[in-house]
Amino acid sequence: MLFADYLLLLFTTAPRRPKALFNVLRGKRTVSTLFAGLTTGTLAYLDSWHGVPLTTFEAATQQLQSAGWLEATQPGYLRVTAAGVTEQNRLRKGLYLPTAFEQFQQADVRQFTAISQLALQVVSEAVHQERRYYPLTTDQHIQWQVKNWFRQWQGPTLGQQIYDELTAFLQTLSDEAAAVFAQSLTGFGLPGLTDQQLATQLDRSPVTILVMRKDLSCHWIAWLKQQPTATPLSALLQPFLKANPVSSSAWQTFQDYLTGQSLTEIAQRRRLKLSTVREHLLETSILWPDFPAAQLLTPTRIAQLSTIFADNPVIETWQFKTVQAELPTMDFFWFRLYQIMRCHDAA
Amino acid sequence: MQREALYQLLKTKYGFDAFRPGQYEVITDLLAGQDVLAVLPTGTGKSLIYQLVGTVVPGLVVVVSPLISLMQDQVARLNYQGEKQVAALTSQLDFGAKQSVLNHLKTLKFLFVSPEMLKQPPVLTALKLVTLSLLVIDEAHCISTWGPDFRPDYLSLGALKQTLGNPRTLMLTATATPKVREDILAQLQVPMAKQVIYSVNRPNIYLAVEQVVTEADKRARLQQLVLTVQRPSIVYFSSKRQTDLIADWLRSTTKLRVAAYHAGLSAEDRFKIQQQFMAGELDVICATSAFGMGIDKADIRQVIHYHLPNNLADYVQEIGRAGRDGQPALAVMLYAPGDEQLVRNLNELTTASPMEIQADQQRFMRQQAPNTDLSQVLQYYWTHGYSVGQVTTQFEQRQRAKEIELSQLLAYIQTKKCRRAYLMTYFSEAAPTHTATCCQLAGERLPLESLGLMAGPTESKTAVTPWQQILAQLFLQNS
Repeated sequence: MLFADYLLLLFTTAPRRPKALFNVLRGKRTVSTLFAGLTTGTLAYLDSWHGVPLTTFEAATQQLQSAGWLEATQPGYLRVTAAGVTEQNRLRKGLYLPTAFEQFQQADVRQFTAISQLALQVVSEAVHQERRYYPLTTDQHIQWQVKNWFRQWQGPTLGQQIYDELTAFLQTLSDEAAAVFAQSLTGFGLPGLTDQQLATQLDRSPVTILVMRKDLSCHWIAWLKQQPTATPLSALLQPFLKANPVSSSAWQTFQDYLTGQSLTEIAQRRRLKLSTVREHLLETSILWPDFPAAQLLTPTRIAQLSTIFADNPVIETWQFKTVQAELPTMDFFWFRLYQIMRCHDAA
Repeated sequence: MQREALYQLLKTKYGFDAFRPGQYEVITDLLAGQDVLAVLPTGTGKSLIYQLVGTVVPGLVVVVSPLISLMQDQVARLNYQGEKQVAALTSQLDFGAKQSVLNHLKTLKFLFVSPEMLKQPPVLTALKLVTLSLLVIDEAHCISTWGPDFRPDYLSLGALKQTLGNPRTLMLTATATPKVREDILAQLQVPMAKQVIYSVNRPNIYLAVEQVVTEADKRARLQQLVLTVQRPSIVYFSSKRQTDLIADWLRSTTKLRVAAYHAGLSAEDRFKIQQQFMAGELDVICATSAFGMGIDKADIRQVIHYHLPNNLADYVQEIGRAGRDGQPALAVMLYAPGDEQLVRNLNELTTASPMEIQADQQRFMRQQAPNTDLSQVLQYYWTHGYSVGQVTTQFEQRQRAKEIELSQLLAYIQTKKCRRAYLMTYFSEAAPTHTATCCQLAGERLPLESLGLMAGPTESKTAVTPWQQILAQLFLQNS
């Protein structure tokens, strides 16, 4: 299995912009990317392929086109062909499909993965009184965070605690998944297996192992969050949990809005451009379904916009120029906000 | 410092009873306040020199190093040896992480930094506020346009050293011809530096060259070598793709434990492969030249070059990773006619035509940021006031130098006489007398038996350990 296989599953028979999908996967949090994620139902994948190079992505879409599974409908758009649908069905049967990627919106999965790997190594070496070892990462920042955590929790029972916690977690997984998780760990006397080595052993592809391991990190985070009392590992996770999927700056703007301040007041007080304040609110409205969009829009604007698009139920095909033709003074912000609201309503 | 005290420190801190050749001499010279240019072969523990000096002299040791991967290996190695106050300043750090390192300089003992990073004003400002115990220029030959690994950014180091108040300086390299040595001292403005030079000769490494006719023959010969010669082995390639392909092929056609290692792997995978290799869990590593720089494994028995190295200096460095325990080891260069073209192609990548140079200078004049590898390199010259003509001449000289290096490498391959004698002459050293364990003369068989390098039985691949057992092994004390 290849990256292209996973990518194919993110396209549908309706044309989609690959560039927007790429931005969703690498976690670019602009309003247009987030909106594309909302309309294509791919927001759960936001940031799940952080760091994937554009060249890799483009090579994969090219490969899918050459195979006849994707076709270009107009410049910048791709859709799945009939043969592509058959291939998608085949892939869905055999491919490991992630089931917990929504955690990418609820925690900093990447950071937690990096920190937890080093933390487990440090505990393992300490359990065996080993002081001389090569740390998994030389990143000073990660080392400092692990050091602080370790100082707080070190003690004669830490090894046993970690053992119990990980055992309880791995028991919730399939044997294959538990094997991937455990064998990739690094610690005393065990360097851990690479994705390539795990792939050979399990007769999977390295990309599949990569997806499995990302998904396992997500499952682990979900499991840790459910633990009733603070444990060493849930404490390690704590700083990486997000209260909500919205960026902190946008969330602040939203809180200000909830206190009854006007958008202009918020912009002045926080020394932001009005357009930035509006972007913050759009971001919040996309990622936070309880956002009071109708209230912000006002009944008048809703009535105007719903009249304009009364004949077109396919929300993502709406064009701002249709609005401009009828209501030349209406700002793009109101159009997009209305569109987002209707997307949430439809879902 | 007294001799006894130094030996005491060596014993307590590193667990060694004796210094390796050159170490003691360089350390005492540095402690006496001398600048030192040390030419010590790979595997002589160059990092121990500045670690020990750093332990004795108060202040920060700044190590200028050319490669990010090398820096990370060095930081990991120092961590391993119990040095906790170590950091690397690289372009990979984000703004916050870089700031955090600069704010903590006073608490650090060792700082690794690239020459590009060192010349950034915030870095220099921060460094001027702390006491420097030692400035180390690692891979110092990169400063010489006559050397094979010339890096234009190294040219700034002389001036930067002045800016930092002329700290005591240690210049380290494994291979340097007299001309390169002269260049290092001139560029760093330390004509009075003490030179400590040890032979590049590694008598326990048997030198062999195997000429094959086709690529298929080469593969077959490679397979035969890794199966019949004592393990572990390193096989060097010049492309990532070939590294992966041949590693896969060896894995599927032999029972050997084989891994590929190159810059395309994630940091995590690179770490794991290095650790598996050190722990004796791998028989063969297929690698690009990035592998091994930070590796200190004493019992590597064979280094094979599947592709030609760039030049003889690189070759000596790379085979130097074999036999550090002093026991017999084997270096084999596999050569098929036309292989030199691959080296030429790689050299082409770093060249530039007068037109390209001219065009890039215009880019610089338009104040556009460099956007290719080439313009990154050229940027240095433009910011330092070089003319298009000067740069063109410089590039032409480099190309000619590379072509000469390649012909010297080919002469080593083709020679009918003692290969070691050829190598030693190349480094301006006296040639030792040829013996049966020295090198393979044209047409001779590999004397594996008399070298004691016949392979033992293949280790069977270990069965998969259940996850419960792995957790117990990792986290429970008596498992």
